[in-house]
Amino acid sequence: MAATESPERRSMGDRVYDAIFTNRLWRSIFRSGYPNTPRNQMLAVATNVFLHLHPTRIHRTHVKITHTFCLGGLSFFLFLGLTISGVLLMFYYVPSVERAYEDILALETDVRFGQLMRNMHRWMAHGMVLTVLMHMMRVFYTGAYKPPREFNWVVGVVLLVLTLLLSFTGYLLPWDQLALWAITVGTNMVGSAPLLGEPNRFVLVGGFQVGQAALIRFYTLHVIGLPLMAAVFMTVHFWRIRRDGGLARPL
Amino acid sequence: MAAANTQPVAASRAVEARKRRQREEELLVWPDLVFIEFISAVLFTVLTVALAVLVDAILLDRANPAVTPNPSKAPWYFLNLQELLLHMHPALAGVIVPTVALIALGAIPYWDNTAEGQGEWLSTPRAWLNTYVGAGVGSVGTLLLILFDDAQHAKIWEKLTGTDWPIPALRNLRAIQNEIPWPKSWLKVPLGDKVLRTDLLGLPKISLNINIPGLIVEQIIPLSTMVGLPILLSIVAWKTKIAQTKRDHMILQFSGFIAVYVTLTIIGTYVRGEGLALVPYTIFAGDH
Ligand code: HEM
Repeated sequence: MAATESPERRSMGDRVYDAIFTNRLWRSIFRSGYPNTPRNQMLAVATNVFLHLHPTRIHRTHVKITHTFCLGGLSFFLFLGLTISGVLLMFYYVPSVERAYEDILALETDVRFGQLMRNMHRWMAHGMVLTVLMHMMRVFYTGAYKPPREFNWVVGVVLLVLTLLLSFTGYLLPWDQLALWAITVGTNMVGSAPLLGEPNRFVLVGGFQVGQAALIRFYTLHVIGLPLMAAVFMTVHFWRIRRDGGLARPL
Repeated sequence: MAAANTQPVAASRAVEARKRRQREEELLVWPDLVFIEFISAVLFTVLTVALAVLVDAILLDRANPAVTPNPSKAPWYFLNLQELLLHMHPALAGVIVPTVALIALGAIPYWDNTAEGQGEWLSTPRAWLNTYVGAGVGSVGTLLLILFDDAQHAKIWEKLTGTDWPIPALRNLRAIQNEIPWPKSWLKVPLGDKVLRTDLLGLPKISLNINIPGLIVEQIIPLSTMVGLPILLSIVAWKTKIAQTKRDHMILQFSGFIAVYVTLTIIGTYVRGEGLALVPYTIFAGDH
Protein backbone atom coordinates (compact mmCIF):
# COMPACT_ATOMS: atom_id res chain seq x y z
CA MET A 1 0.00 0.00 0.00
CA ALA A 2 3.05 2.23 0.19
CA ALA A 3 2.48 4.02 -3.09
CA THR A 4 -1.21 4.72 -2.77
CA GLU A 5 -3.35 7.40 -1.28
CA SER A 6 -7.10 7.52 -0.82
CA PRO A 7 -9.25 10.63 -1.39
CA GLU A 8 -11.04 11.88 1.68
CA ARG A 9 -14.52 11.07 0.49
CA ARG A 10 -14.60 7.76 -1.28
CA SER A 11 -16.97 7.67 -4.20
CA MET A 12 -18.81 4.71 -5.60
CA GLY A 13 -16.15 4.37 -8.29
CA ASP A 14 -13.38 4.20 -5.71
CA ARG A 15 -15.15 1.45 -3.82
CA VAL A 16 -15.79 -0.60 -6.92
CA TYR A 17 -12.19 -0.08 -7.99
CA ASP A 18 -10.90 -1.19 -4.60
CA ALA A 19 -13.14 -4.22 -4.59
CA ILE A 20 -11.94 -5.34 -7.99
CA PHE A 21 -8.35 -4.24 -8.09
CA THR A 22 -7.01 -4.32 -4.58
CA ASN A 23 -5.54 -7.75 -4.87
CA ARG A 24 -2.05 -9.07 -5.18
CA LEU A 25 -2.20 -9.85 -8.89
CA TRP A 26 -3.27 -6.34 -9.88
CA ARG A 27 -0.87 -4.73 -7.44
CA SER A 28 1.98 -6.76 -8.88
CA ILE A 29 1.29 -5.14 -12.27
CA PHE A 30 0.28 -1.58 -11.38
CA ARG A 31 2.06 -0.06 -8.42
CA SER A 32 -0.15 2.97 -8.00
CA GLY A 33 -3.75 3.17 -6.84
CA TYR A 34 -6.69 4.41 -8.85
CA PRO A 35 -5.56 7.73 -10.39
CA ASN A 36 -8.07 10.01 -8.73
CA THR A 37 -5.72 11.99 -6.50
CA PRO A 38 -2.86 14.15 -7.76
CA ARG A 39 -0.34 11.84 -6.16
CA ASN A 40 -1.76 8.71 -7.73
CA GLN A 41 -2.15 10.47 -11.06
CA MET A 42 1.51 11.33 -11.07
CA LEU A 43 2.44 7.83 -9.98
CA ALA A 44 0.29 6.38 -12.75
CA VAL A 45 2.48 8.19 -15.26
CA ALA A 46 5.80 7.80 -13.49
CA THR A 47 5.53 4.09 -12.75
CA ASN A 48 4.37 3.00 -16.18
CA VAL A 49 7.09 2.51 -18.76
CA PHE A 50 4.92 3.65 -21.68
CA LEU A 51 3.33 6.63 -19.99
CA HIS A 52 6.73 7.49 -18.63
CA LEU A 53 7.61 8.91 -22.05
CA HIS A 54 5.75 11.89 -20.60
CA PRO A 55 6.70 14.07 -17.67
CA THR A 56 4.16 13.96 -14.83
CA ARG A 57 3.22 17.59 -15.26
CA ILE A 58 3.00 19.72 -18.35
CA HIS A 59 2.42 23.38 -19.06
CA ARG A 60 -1.13 24.51 -19.73
CA THR A 61 -0.47 25.89 -23.20
CA HIS A 62 0.95 22.58 -24.42
CA VAL A 63 -2.25 20.60 -24.00
CA LYS A 64 -4.04 23.07 -26.24
CA ILE A 65 -4.70 21.20 -29.49
CA THR A 66 -3.74 24.25 -31.54
CA HIS A 67 -0.23 24.33 -30.10
CA THR A 68 0.94 21.06 -31.68
CA PHE A 69 -2.14 19.90 -33.59
CA CYS A 70 -0.98 16.53 -32.20
CA LEU A 71 1.17 16.17 -35.31
CA GLY A 72 4.25 14.60 -33.71
CA GLY A 73 2.03 12.29 -31.70
CA LEU A 74 0.08 11.40 -34.84
CA SER A 75 3.28 10.58 -36.71
CA PHE A 76 4.19 8.22 -33.90
CA PHE A 77 0.69 6.77 -33.81
CA LEU A 78 0.83 6.11 -37.56
CA PHE A 79 4.25 4.53 -37.16
CA LEU A 80 2.80 2.11 -34.60
CA GLY A 81 -0.24 1.41 -36.80
CA LEU A 82 2.03 0.76 -39.78
CA THR A 83 4.09 -1.67 -37.72
CA ILE A 84 1.01 -3.65 -36.73
CA SER A 85 -0.63 -3.73 -40.17
CA GLY A 86 2.78 -4.36 -41.73
CA VAL A 87 3.39 -7.45 -39.59
CA LEU A 88 -0.01 -8.78 -40.66
CA LEU A 89 0.84 -8.17 -44.32
CA MET A 90 4.11 -10.07 -43.88
CA PHE A 91 2.12 -13.23 -43.11
CA TYR A 92 0.92 -13.32 -46.72
CA TYR A 93 3.67 -11.71 -48.75
CA VAL A 94 6.74 -13.38 -50.25
CA PRO A 95 9.32 -10.99 -51.72
CA SER A 96 10.04 -12.82 -54.96
CA VAL A 97 9.36 -11.52 -58.45
CA GLU A 98 7.41 -14.71 -59.21
CA ARG A 99 5.13 -14.44 -56.21
CA ALA A 100 4.94 -10.86 -54.95
CA TYR A 101 2.25 -9.60 -57.34
CA GLU A 102 0.19 -12.80 -57.02
CA ASP A 103 0.43 -12.56 -53.23
CA ILE A 104 -0.99 -9.05 -53.30
CA LEU A 105 -3.79 -10.18 -55.61
CA ALA A 106 -4.53 -13.12 -53.32
CA LEU A 107 -4.44 -10.80 -50.33
CA GLU A 108 -7.11 -8.67 -51.96
CA THR A 109 -9.39 -11.52 -53.00
CA ASP A 110 -8.74 -14.63 -50.87
CA VAL A 111 -7.70 -13.30 -47.47
CA ARG A 112 -10.40 -12.16 -45.08
CA PHE A 113 -9.85 -8.45 -44.38
CA GLY A 114 -6.76 -8.67 -46.61
CA GLN A 115 -7.79 -5.75 -48.78
CA LEU A 116 -8.66 -3.73 -45.69
CA MET A 117 -5.26 -4.47 -44.20
CA ARG A 118 -3.45 -3.44 -47.36
CA ASN A 119 -5.55 -0.28 -47.67
CA MET A 120 -4.87 0.71 -44.08
CA HIS A 121 -1.15 0.18 -44.47
CA ARG A 122 -1.09 2.22 -47.67
CA TRP A 123 -3.16 5.14 -46.37
CA MET A 124 -1.31 5.30 -43.09
CA ALA A 125 1.98 5.37 -45.01
CA HIS A 126 0.86 8.33 -47.12
CA GLY A 127 -0.58 9.91 -43.98
CA MET A 128 2.68 9.59 -42.10
CA VAL A 129 4.66 11.40 -44.80
CA LEU A 130 2.11 14.20 -44.57
CA THR A 131 1.97 14.40 -40.77
CA VAL A 132 5.77 14.37 -40.46
CA LEU A 133 6.09 17.22 -42.96
CA MET A 134 3.34 19.19 -41.19
CA HIS A 135 4.92 18.45 -37.80
CA MET A 136 8.16 19.93 -39.10
CA MET A 137 6.26 23.03 -40.17
CA ARG A 138 4.53 23.38 -36.81
CA VAL A 139 7.90 23.06 -35.02
CA PHE A 140 9.36 25.70 -37.32
CA TYR A 141 6.53 28.22 -37.03
CA THR A 142 6.36 27.90 -33.25
CA GLY A 143 10.09 28.60 -33.12
CA ALA A 144 10.61 25.33 -31.25
CA TYR A 145 13.91 24.51 -32.98
CA LYS A 146 15.83 27.18 -31.11
CA PRO A 147 18.46 26.42 -28.48
CA PRO A 148 18.53 24.16 -26.52
CA ARG A 149 16.50 22.14 -29.03
CA GLU A 150 18.83 22.46 -32.06
CA PHE A 151 19.95 18.88 -31.92
CA ASN A 152 16.44 17.51 -31.65
CA TRP A 153 15.58 19.38 -34.83
CA VAL A 154 18.49 17.59 -36.52
CA VAL A 155 17.21 14.26 -35.15
CA GLY A 156 13.87 15.29 -36.66
CA VAL A 157 15.42 15.84 -40.08
CA VAL A 158 16.91 12.33 -39.89
CA LEU A 159 13.44 11.01 -39.00
CA LEU A 160 12.01 12.82 -42.02
CA VAL A 161 14.55 11.13 -44.30
CA LEU A 162 13.85 7.75 -42.70
CA THR A 163 10.11 8.25 -43.17
CA LEU A 164 10.58 9.01 -46.87
CA LEU A 165 12.90 6.01 -47.30
CA LEU A 166 10.44 3.73 -45.52
CA SER A 167 7.71 4.84 -47.85
CA PHE A 168 9.94 4.59 -50.92
CA THR A 169 11.14 1.05 -50.14
CA GLY A 170 7.55 -0.05 -49.50
CA TYR A 171 6.48 1.34 -52.87
CA LEU A 172 8.30 -1.42 -54.77
CA LEU A 173 6.85 -4.36 -52.88
CA PRO A 174 3.47 -4.86 -54.70
CA TRP A 175 5.54 -5.46 -57.85
CA ASP A 176 3.08 -3.83 -60.23
CA GLN A 177 3.85 -1.40 -63.04
CA LEU A 178 3.47 1.57 -60.70
CA ALA A 179 5.99 0.08 -58.26
CA LEU A 180 8.58 -1.03 -60.80
CA TRP A 181 8.72 2.22 -62.72
CA ALA A 182 8.50 4.56 -59.78
CA ILE A 183 11.49 2.82 -58.23
CA THR A 184 13.28 2.81 -61.59
CA VAL A 185 12.79 6.57 -61.92
CA GLY A 186 13.79 7.11 -58.29
CA THR A 187 16.91 4.99 -58.33
CA ASN A 188 18.01 6.49 -61.65
CA MET A 189 18.08 9.84 -59.85
CA VAL A 190 20.59 8.35 -57.41
CA GLY A 191 22.59 7.06 -60.38
CA SER A 192 23.02 10.55 -61.78
CA ALA A 193 25.14 11.76 -58.87
CA PRO A 194 28.68 12.80 -59.81
CA LEU A 195 31.38 10.14 -59.32
CA LEU A 196 29.70 7.77 -56.84
CA GLY A 197 26.21 7.90 -58.28
CA GLU A 198 26.32 4.86 -60.53
CA PRO A 199 28.10 2.60 -57.98
CA ASN A 200 25.56 3.69 -55.35
CA ARG A 201 22.65 2.96 -57.63
CA PHE A 202 24.12 -0.44 -58.38
CA VAL A 203 24.40 -1.30 -54.69
CA LEU A 204 20.86 -0.08 -54.00
CA VAL A 205 19.28 -1.99 -56.87
CA GLY A 206 21.67 -4.93 -56.76
CA GLY A 207 22.12 -4.95 -60.54
CA PHE A 208 21.66 -2.95 -63.67
CA GLN A 209 17.90 -2.88 -63.48
CA VAL A 210 15.22 -3.23 -60.85
CA GLY A 211 14.64 -6.98 -60.41
CA GLN A 212 14.79 -9.74 -57.82
CA ALA A 213 17.92 -8.36 -56.16
CA ALA A 214 16.29 -4.96 -55.76
CA LEU A 215 13.07 -6.49 -54.43
CA ILE A 216 14.78 -8.43 -51.65
CA ARG A 217 16.96 -5.43 -50.72
CA PHE A 218 14.00 -3.07 -50.55
CA TYR A 219 11.97 -5.65 -48.63
CA THR A 220 14.67 -6.21 -46.02
CA LEU A 221 15.22 -2.49 -45.58
CA HIS A 222 11.49 -1.89 -45.44
CA VAL A 223 10.53 -4.50 -42.84
CA ILE A 224 13.53 -4.47 -40.55
CA GLY A 225 16.45 -2.13 -41.34
CA LEU A 226 14.67 1.19 -41.63
CA PRO A 227 11.99 0.55 -38.95
CA LEU A 228 14.74 -0.28 -36.46
CA MET A 229 16.63 2.87 -37.33
CA ALA A 230 13.44 4.92 -37.09
CA ALA A 231 12.68 3.38 -33.69
CA VAL A 232 16.16 4.26 -32.43
CA PHE A 233 15.92 7.84 -33.65
CA MET A 234 12.40 8.21 -32.24
CA THR A 235 13.68 7.03 -28.87
CA VAL A 236 16.36 9.71 -29.01
CA HIS A 237 13.79 12.28 -30.22
CA PHE A 238 11.41 11.64 -27.31
CA TRP A 239 14.20 11.42 -24.78
CA ARG A 240 15.59 14.74 -25.96
CA ILE A 241 12.20 16.46 -25.73
CA ARG A 242 12.21 15.70 -22.00
CA ARG A 243 15.91 16.46 -21.49
CA ASP A 244 15.49 19.79 -23.26
CA GLY A 245 12.86 20.74 -20.70
CA GLY A 246 9.66 19.66 -22.42
CA LEU A 247 8.14 21.55 -25.31
CA ALA A 248 9.46 25.01 -26.07
CA ARG A 249 7.87 27.99 -24.33
CA PRO A 250 8.27 31.73 -24.70
CA LEU A 251 11.02 33.03 -22.46
CA MET B 1 24.82 38.93 9.86
CA ALA B 2 21.15 39.79 9.92
CA ALA B 3 21.46 42.18 6.98
CA ALA B 4 23.47 39.67 5.01
CA ASN B 5 20.75 37.12 5.59
CA THR B 6 17.71 39.07 4.47
CA GLN B 7 18.73 39.46 0.88
CA PRO B 8 19.07 35.76 0.05
CA VAL B 9 15.82 35.14 1.87
CA ALA B 10 14.00 37.74 -0.22
CA ALA B 11 15.56 36.34 -3.37
CA SER B 12 14.63 32.80 -2.52
CA ARG B 13 11.09 33.97 -1.76
CA ALA B 14 10.91 35.42 -5.23
CA VAL B 15 12.22 32.19 -6.69
CA GLU B 16 9.68 30.26 -4.71
CA ALA B 17 6.88 32.55 -5.84
CA ARG B 18 7.95 32.03 -9.45
CA LYS B 19 8.06 28.27 -8.90
CA ARG B 20 4.60 28.36 -7.36
CA ARG B 21 3.27 30.39 -10.26
CA GLN B 22 4.79 27.91 -12.69
CA ARG B 23 3.24 25.02 -10.80
CA GLU B 24 -0.14 26.69 -11.02
CA GLU B 25 0.19 26.97 -14.77
CA GLU B 26 0.91 23.27 -15.04
CA LEU B 27 -1.49 20.42 -15.50
CA LEU B 28 -1.12 16.78 -14.67
CA VAL B 29 -0.36 14.55 -17.62
CA TRP B 30 -2.84 12.04 -16.28
CA PRO B 31 -5.64 12.83 -16.99
CA ASP B 32 -5.29 16.01 -19.10
CA LEU B 33 -2.80 14.88 -21.75
CA VAL B 34 -3.43 11.14 -21.66
CA PHE B 35 -7.10 11.87 -22.30
CA ILE B 36 -6.37 13.93 -25.42
CA GLU B 37 -3.95 11.31 -26.70
CA PHE B 38 -6.49 8.58 -26.15
CA ILE B 39 -9.28 10.48 -27.91
CA SER B 40 -7.13 11.37 -30.92
CA ALA B 41 -5.85 7.79 -31.19
CA VAL B 42 -9.45 6.53 -31.26
CA LEU B 43 -10.49 9.24 -33.71
CA PHE B 44 -7.67 8.51 -36.12
CA THR B 45 -8.14 4.76 -35.87
CA VAL B 46 -11.76 5.26 -36.89
CA LEU B 47 -10.74 7.64 -39.68
CA THR B 48 -8.12 5.29 -41.17
CA VAL B 49 -10.47 2.30 -40.99
CA ALA B 50 -13.20 4.36 -42.68
CA LEU B 51 -10.81 5.53 -45.39
CA ALA B 52 -9.54 1.98 -45.91
CA VAL B 53 -13.09 0.67 -46.23
CA LEU B 54 -14.07 3.36 -48.71
CA VAL B 55 -11.00 3.71 -50.93
CA ASP B 56 -8.92 0.81 -52.18
CA ALA B 57 -5.15 1.08 -52.57
CA ILE B 58 -4.14 1.17 -56.22
CA LEU B 59 -2.72 -1.93 -57.94
CA LEU B 60 -1.83 -1.77 -61.64
CA ASP B 61 -0.79 -4.61 -63.96
CA ARG B 62 2.02 -6.95 -63.01
CA ALA B 63 5.47 -5.34 -63.26
CA ASN B 64 6.86 -5.65 -66.77
CA PRO B 65 10.36 -4.34 -67.51
CA ALA B 66 9.58 -4.44 -71.24
CA VAL B 67 6.69 -1.97 -71.06
CA THR B 68 7.56 1.53 -69.93
CA PRO B 69 4.42 3.42 -68.92
CA ASN B 70 4.12 6.94 -70.25
CA PRO B 71 4.52 8.93 -68.09
CA SER B 72 6.65 7.05 -65.55
CA LYS B 73 6.55 8.77 -62.23
CA ALA B 74 8.36 8.49 -58.92
CA PRO B 75 6.26 8.37 -55.70
CA TRP B 76 4.43 11.67 -55.15
CA TYR B 77 6.80 13.01 -52.46
CA PHE B 78 9.68 12.76 -54.97
CA LEU B 79 7.79 14.33 -57.88
CA ASN B 80 9.23 17.70 -56.89
CA LEU B 81 12.69 16.33 -57.67
CA GLN B 82 11.43 14.70 -60.85
CA GLU B 83 10.04 18.08 -61.89
CA LEU B 84 13.44 19.69 -61.27
CA LEU B 85 14.96 16.96 -63.43
CA LEU B 86 13.14 18.41 -66.45
CA HIS B 87 14.92 21.73 -66.11
CA MET B 88 18.53 20.93 -65.22
CA HIS B 89 21.32 18.41 -65.12
CA PRO B 90 20.16 15.17 -63.44
CA ALA B 91 23.03 15.20 -60.94
CA LEU B 92 21.95 18.64 -59.81
CA ALA B 93 18.23 17.86 -59.55
CA GLY B 94 18.42 14.29 -58.30
CA VAL B 95 21.24 14.42 -55.82
CA ILE B 96 22.90 17.76 -55.18
CA VAL B 97 19.75 19.84 -54.60
CA PRO B 98 18.11 17.37 -52.15
CA THR B 99 21.38 16.84 -50.28
CA VAL B 100 22.05 20.54 -49.91
CA ALA B 101 18.40 21.18 -49.02
CA LEU B 102 18.48 18.60 -46.21
CA ILE B 103 21.74 19.95 -44.83
CA ALA B 104 20.37 23.49 -44.96
CA LEU B 105 17.19 22.32 -43.22
CA GLY B 106 19.21 20.71 -40.45
CA ALA B 107 21.31 23.85 -40.11
CA ILE B 108 18.33 26.16 -39.45
CA PRO B 109 18.72 26.22 -35.64
CA TYR B 110 22.43 26.91 -35.95
CA TRP B 111 21.79 29.99 -38.08
CA ASP B 112 18.83 31.31 -36.17
CA ASN B 113 19.95 30.66 -32.62
CA THR B 114 18.13 33.60 -31.07
CA ALA B 115 15.35 33.02 -28.56
CA GLU B 116 13.08 35.33 -30.54
CA GLY B 117 9.61 33.95 -31.19
CA GLN B 118 10.24 30.72 -29.33
CA GLY B 119 7.40 28.48 -28.22
CA GLU B 120 4.47 30.36 -29.74
CA TRP B 121 2.89 30.35 -33.17
CA LEU B 122 4.33 33.12 -35.36
CA SER B 123 4.57 35.44 -32.41
CA THR B 124 7.15 37.99 -33.62
CA PRO B 125 5.94 41.29 -35.11
CA ARG B 126 6.60 40.56 -38.81
CA ALA B 127 6.15 36.76 -38.67
CA TRP B 128 2.93 36.55 -40.71
CA LEU B 129 4.11 39.14 -43.20
CA ASN B 130 7.26 37.14 -43.93
CA THR B 131 5.25 33.93 -44.20
CA TYR B 132 3.00 35.51 -46.84
CA VAL B 133 5.84 37.12 -48.77
CA GLY B 134 7.99 33.97 -48.72
CA ALA B 135 5.13 31.67 -49.70
CA GLY B 136 3.89 34.08 -52.39
CA VAL B 137 7.26 34.64 -54.01
CA GLY B 138 8.14 30.94 -53.76
CA SER B 139 4.98 29.63 -55.41
CA VAL B 140 4.54 32.34 -58.05
CA GLY B 141 8.25 32.37 -58.86
CA THR B 142 8.34 28.60 -59.33
CA LEU B 143 5.27 28.74 -61.51
CA LEU B 144 6.75 31.48 -63.71
CA LEU B 145 10.07 29.66 -64.11
CA ILE B 146 8.29 26.45 -65.14
CA LEU B 147 6.07 28.33 -67.60
CA PHE B 148 9.15 30.02 -69.07
CA ASP B 149 10.94 26.71 -69.55
CA ASP B 150 7.79 25.39 -71.20
CA ALA B 151 7.98 28.32 -73.69
CA GLN B 152 4.53 29.51 -72.61
CA HIS B 153 5.44 33.16 -73.16
CA ALA B 154 6.45 32.38 -76.75
CA LYS B 155 3.36 30.27 -77.37
CA ILE B 156 1.07 33.00 -76.04
CA TRP B 157 2.89 35.59 -78.18
CA GLU B 158 2.44 33.43 -81.25
CA LYS B 159 -1.23 32.90 -80.57
CA LEU B 160 -1.89 36.60 -79.99
CA THR B 161 0.16 38.11 -82.80
CA GLY B 162 0.14 35.28 -85.29
CA THR B 163 3.89 35.75 -85.83
CA ASP B 164 6.88 33.79 -84.60
CA TRP B 165 8.37 34.59 -81.21
CA PRO B 166 11.02 37.20 -82.08
CA ILE B 167 13.83 36.09 -79.76
CA PRO B 168 14.44 32.39 -80.52
CA ALA B 169 17.26 32.18 -77.97
CA LEU B 170 14.81 33.07 -75.19
CA ARG B 171 12.17 30.53 -76.10
CA ASN B 172 13.10 28.37 -73.15
CA LEU B 173 16.21 27.37 -71.25
CA ARG B 174 17.45 24.83 -73.78
CA ALA B 175 17.13 27.40 -76.59
CA ILE B 176 20.04 29.31 -75.08
CA GLN B 177 22.18 26.32 -75.98
CA ASN B 178 20.60 25.58 -79.36
CA GLU B 179 19.72 28.96 -80.84
CA ILE B 180 22.81 30.99 -80.08
CA PRO B 181 25.70 30.58 -82.57
CA TRP B 182 28.29 29.51 -80.01
CA PRO B 183 31.89 29.28 -81.26
CA LYS B 184 32.58 25.72 -82.40
CA SER B 185 35.55 25.42 -80.08
CA TRP B 186 33.27 25.95 -77.04
CA LEU B 187 31.26 22.85 -77.73
CA LYS B 188 34.11 20.52 -76.89
CA VAL B 189 36.77 21.92 -74.62
CA PRO B 190 39.29 19.14 -74.07
CA LEU B 191 39.94 19.72 -70.40
CA GLY B 192 41.56 16.30 -70.03
CA ASP B 193 44.01 16.81 -72.90
CA LYS B 194 44.93 20.43 -72.29
CA VAL B 195 44.49 21.30 -68.63
CA LEU B 196 44.36 18.28 -66.37
CA ARG B 197 47.55 16.72 -67.73
CA THR B 198 47.49 13.61 -65.55
CA ASP B 199 49.72 11.93 -68.13
CA LEU B 200 52.56 14.19 -67.01
CA LEU B 201 52.30 12.57 -63.57
CA GLY B 202 52.50 9.16 -65.14
CA LEU B 203 48.78 8.55 -64.55
CA PRO B 204 46.23 7.50 -67.17
CA LYS B 205 44.85 10.33 -69.30
CA ILE B 206 41.41 11.69 -68.38
CA SER B 207 39.15 12.16 -71.36
CA LEU B 208 37.11 15.03 -70.02
CA ASN B 209 35.47 17.24 -72.62
CA ILE B 210 33.35 20.17 -71.56
CA ASN B 211 30.45 21.50 -73.59
CA ILE B 212 30.32 25.09 -72.39
CA PRO B 213 26.84 26.04 -73.67
CA GLY B 214 25.52 22.77 -72.21
CA LEU B 215 27.23 23.52 -68.92
CA ILE B 216 25.69 26.98 -68.86
CA VAL B 217 22.18 25.73 -69.58
CA GLU B 218 22.15 22.61 -67.44
CA GLN B 219 24.16 23.73 -64.46
CA ILE B 220 25.22 27.34 -64.22
CA ILE B 221 21.86 28.99 -64.92
CA PRO B 222 19.77 26.60 -62.75
CA LEU B 223 22.29 26.76 -59.93
CA SER B 224 22.52 30.53 -59.92
CA THR B 225 18.73 30.75 -60.10
CA MET B 226 18.25 28.46 -57.11
CA VAL B 227 20.92 30.19 -55.05
CA GLY B 228 20.53 33.72 -56.39
CA LEU B 229 16.79 34.25 -56.16
CA PRO B 230 16.49 33.35 -52.45
CA ILE B 231 19.44 35.64 -51.67
CA LEU B 232 17.88 38.40 -53.75
CA LEU B 233 14.60 37.89 -51.90
CA SER B 234 16.30 38.28 -48.54
CA ILE B 235 18.17 41.41 -49.69
CA VAL B 236 15.01 43.04 -50.99
CA ALA B 237 13.10 42.10 -47.83
CA TRP B 238 15.92 43.51 -45.73
CA LYS B 239 16.08 46.81 -47.67
CA THR B 240 12.29 47.23 -47.53
CA LYS B 241 12.32 46.40 -43.80
CA ILE B 242 9.99 43.44 -44.30
CA ALA B 243 12.61 41.18 -42.74
CA GLN B 244 14.71 42.75 -40.01
CA THR B 245 15.79 40.01 -37.63
CA LYS B 246 17.31 36.55 -38.12
CA ARG B 247 13.95 34.98 -37.30
CA ASP B 248 12.30 37.17 -39.98
CA HIS B 249 14.73 35.98 -42.63
CA MET B 250 14.36 32.40 -41.46
CA ILE B 251 10.56 32.54 -41.77
CA LEU B 252 10.89 34.20 -45.16
CA GLN B 253 13.25 31.54 -46.52
CA PHE B 254 11.52 28.55 -44.91
CA SER B 255 8.10 29.66 -46.18
CA GLY B 256 9.62 30.16 -49.62
CA PHE B 257 11.16 26.70 -49.51
CA ILE B 258 7.89 25.04 -48.46
CA ALA B 259 6.01 26.92 -51.19
CA VAL B 260 8.51 25.85 -53.86
CA TYR B 261 8.37 22.26 -52.59
CA VAL B 262 4.57 22.19 -52.64
CA THR B 263 4.29 23.90 -56.04
CA LEU B 264 6.77 21.52 -57.65
CA THR B 265 4.98 18.53 -56.10
CA ILE B 266 1.54 19.65 -57.31
CA ILE B 267 2.79 20.36 -60.83
CA GLY B 268 4.73 17.08 -60.96
CA THR B 269 1.68 15.18 -59.74
CA TYR B 270 -1.26 16.74 -61.57
CA VAL B 271 0.10 18.70 -64.52
CA ARG B 272 2.69 16.38 -66.02
CA GLY B 273 1.12 13.94 -68.46
CA GLU B 274 2.30 11.93 -71.40
CA GLY B 275 5.94 12.59 -72.26
CA LEU B 276 5.94 14.71 -69.08
CA ALA B 277 4.32 17.52 -71.06
CA LEU B 278 2.49 20.23 -69.13
CA VAL B 279 -1.07 18.81 -69.31
CA PRO B 280 -3.60 17.79 -66.67
CA TYR B 281 -3.03 14.25 -65.40
CA THR B 282 -4.18 11.78 -62.81
CA ILE B 283 -2.88 8.32 -62.18
CA PHE B 284 -6.40 6.99 -62.66
CA ALA B 285 -6.68 8.50 -66.15
CA GLY B 286 -5.26 5.66 -68.27
CA ASP B 287 -6.81 2.31 -69.08
CA HIS B 288 -6.06 0.76 -65.69
C1 HEM C 1 8.86 10.10 -37.56
C2 HEM C 1 8.88 11.35 -37.39
C3 HEM C 1 8.62 12.13 -36.11
C4 HEM C 1 7.96 11.78 -34.96
C5 HEM C 1 7.26 10.46 -34.63
C6 HEM C 1 8.03 12.92 -34.07
C7 HEM C 1 7.44 12.99 -32.81
C8 HEM C 1 7.41 14.12 -32.01
C9 HEM C 1 6.55 14.31 -30.87
C10 HEM C 1 5.51 13.30 -30.35
C11 HEM C 1 6.82 15.54 -30.35
C12 HEM C 1 6.08 16.21 -29.17
C13 HEM C 1 5.31 17.44 -29.57
C14 HEM C 1 4.45 17.37 -30.78
O1 HEM C 1 3.68 16.40 -30.93
O2 HEM C 1 4.56 18.26 -31.63
C15 HEM C 1 7.89 16.12 -31.14
C16 HEM C 1 8.50 17.34 -30.92
C17 HEM C 1 9.52 17.87 -31.69
N1 HEM C 1 9.89 17.44 -32.95
FE1 HEM C 1 9.33 15.69 -33.79
N2 HEM C 1 8.75 13.93 -34.68
C18 HEM C 1 9.11 13.50 -35.94
C19 HEM C 1 9.80 14.22 -36.89
C20 HEM C 1 10.33 15.48 -36.69
C21 HEM C 1 10.89 16.33 -37.72
C22 HEM C 1 10.92 15.99 -39.21
C23 HEM C 1 11.35 17.45 -37.08
C24 HEM C 1 12.05 18.67 -37.67
C25 HEM C 1 12.78 18.70 -38.69
C26 HEM C 1 11.08 17.31 -35.67
C27 HEM C 1 11.46 18.22 -34.68
C28 HEM C 1 10.90 18.27 -33.41
C29 HEM C 1 11.22 19.24 -32.39
C30 HEM C 1 12.30 20.34 -32.49
C31 HEM C 1 10.36 18.99 -31.31
C32 HEM C 1 10.26 19.79 -30.01
C33 HEM C 1 9.11 20.75 -30.20
C34 HEM C 1 8.86 21.67 -29.04
O3 HEM C 1 9.72 21.79 -28.15
O4 HEM C 1 7.79 22.33 -29.05
N3 HEM C 1 10.44 16.11 -35.47
N4 HEM C 1 8.23 15.23 -32.15
